Amino acid sequence: MTGLTRRELLRAALAAGASAAGLSACGRGDQHTSVSGDWAPGEPLPWRNWSGIERCVPARRIAPASEAELVALLCSGDFALRPAGAGHSFSGLVPSDAALVFLDSLSGVISADPASLSAEVWTGTRLWLLGPALAAFGQALPNLSDIDYQTLGGALATSTHGSGAQLGSLSSRVTALWLATPGGELLECDAERHAEVFHAARTSLGALGVITRVRLANRAAFRLVERSRFVELDALLADLPHERDANRHFEFYAFPHSDVALAIATNETDLGPAPTVDDDPEAILLLRSLFRWTRALPGVGMRLYDAFLRNQPSSERAGESYAVLAHPRTVRFNEMEYTVPAEAGPECLRAILAEIRARDLPICFPIECRFVCKDDVWLSMFHERAGFSISIHQFQDEDWRPYFAAIEPIFWKFEGRPHWGKLHSLDAARLSALYSCWSDFRRVRRSLDPRGRLVNAHLAQILGA
Amino acid sequence: MRAISRKSARARAKLTCALVCLVAACACGDDRKPATPSPLEPELVLTYQSVCASCHARAGTGAPLAGNDADWSQRRAQGGDALLEHTVNGYRGMPPLGGCGRCSAADLRALVAYMAGIAEAAR
Repeated sequence: MTGLTRRELLRAALAAGASAAGLSACGRGDQHTSVSGDWAPGEPLPWRNWSGIERCVPARRIAPASEAELVALLCSGDFALRPAGAGHSFSGLVPSDAALVFLDSLSGVISADPASLSAEVWTGTRLWLLGPALAAFGQALPNLSDIDYQTLGGALATSTHGSGAQLGSLSSRVTALWLATPGGELLECDAERHAEVFHAARTSLGALGVITRVRLANRAAFRLVERSRFVELDALLADLPHERDANRHFEFYAFPHSDVALAIATNETDLGPAPTVDDDPEAILLLRSLFRWTRALPGVGMRLYDAFLRNQPSSERAGESYAVLAHPRTVRFNEMEYTVPAEAGPECLRAILAEIRARDLPICFPIECRFVCKDDVWLSMFHERAGFSISIHQFQDEDWRPYFAAIEPIFWKFEGRPHWGKLHSLDAARLSALYSCWSDFRRVRRSLDPRGRLVNAHLAQILGA
Repeated sequence: MRAISRKSARARAKLTCALVCLVAACACGDDRKPATPSPLEPELVLTYQSVCASCHARAGTGAPLAGNDADWSQRRAQGGDALLEHTVNGYRGMPPLGGCGRCSAADLRALVAYMAGIAEAAR
């Protein structure tokens, strides 16, 4: 949801809707809802993830000041540990009652090579700082995720991605990595040195050790212009191959209970500073209020909702690539994402929208659909298969379980692979059928961590470790 | 490796200075009177710029801007304990722990005080 004008229109519609329905504009649906906290000053400090559903009280928080200090720590005892990243994952990759490792001190660009347009980067670097840091060397990542709060290490461990039929996940840009193993070695890995470890570690789930730095294959810094417009979903799906191929990045959001979609095409531009519409990350709350009020109007409500979306104006954002590709997300949510084969994407989406309508699920959070290029990373969701990633969200203050449980079986019918950092219910037996290199990954993991120092409850379930 | 670390440390120090200046500039940009920030320990400056600044130095995210008295005056009135509790548990758009998993309660209290302009004695 972008555009100040759009927000103004939403406000106007809400005021009109409230008046027509005899409701106060300060009704429950308008209010942010805080997390119901369970910590008070003086108690042991918990760790919690971004959305608040994953939590633990670690015995130790380890923040090594250097790579050497991290390796020494790993040698110093046989304690269990988990690398924590920025805590943005919705799945249980991080929680541990033992030790959590934070690489905040290992942050920034170490070196950059202008000839090969590559850079060596500490994995504790937050993505939102990586863009400007690479730009200082005239470089940029070819693609970036929609959210940039994560650490680079966390994003790589989960095969985090953006959108673009010719663009792979962040993991696919790694040409070398340095892995601090549970045994206390520092392995430098690439396609030739420790090649199997390299293929496994580019998307590692944090199960192989702690990756301290990587070499990224970048490109010259560039600018993008993002154009968003509301369109008919049927027309969009009919024209999807063209949109996919005609734009550097193309993604869209489908609106449950509506026949409208928000199409977002992003392309390179050599224009200078252009009029830029700022992101409006809280517009989604206004959409929720509009949905609730129109839904309460018997007979005509959903038609009003649909008509309102249909008449939204288009918008445009422009700027440096990293500033356009990422969006601030200040309304928290929980998320499930599966990647299905690219050609099956539209059919899978239609099945999801039909299920929401058939069950009359009260869902208004738009469904995000993105194309991603195939790659050769063993546990990437895009391994040897071009993907169509479908993300469903629920507001953080609402129960995500009934919605996600209703939709997840649809993903399974389409041989979907779950995003490692997002919610899903698959176990090792079912995941193994989705990845041709599954047993290779398990073998490498066992060789690096035979005692299971890095295995928490979630990894035990999904890896069968 | 040691040489790389020193180089990286220098680069980080330069980046930190630049970002702190940028934050100060952002916070003053719209004529809202800045509070006098509580001093921040050097090791927390990096935490501030890599974690807190992603929202608290970026206008339009809904987060109160660091050092901006108009944004913080009512929040300060709730007291340091309440702000710390909100930070740890997550509050509205702010994630639990303010997104800083490595931070101790004392770190978080200092970061909140810095952004909110709470004097050291009143934390």
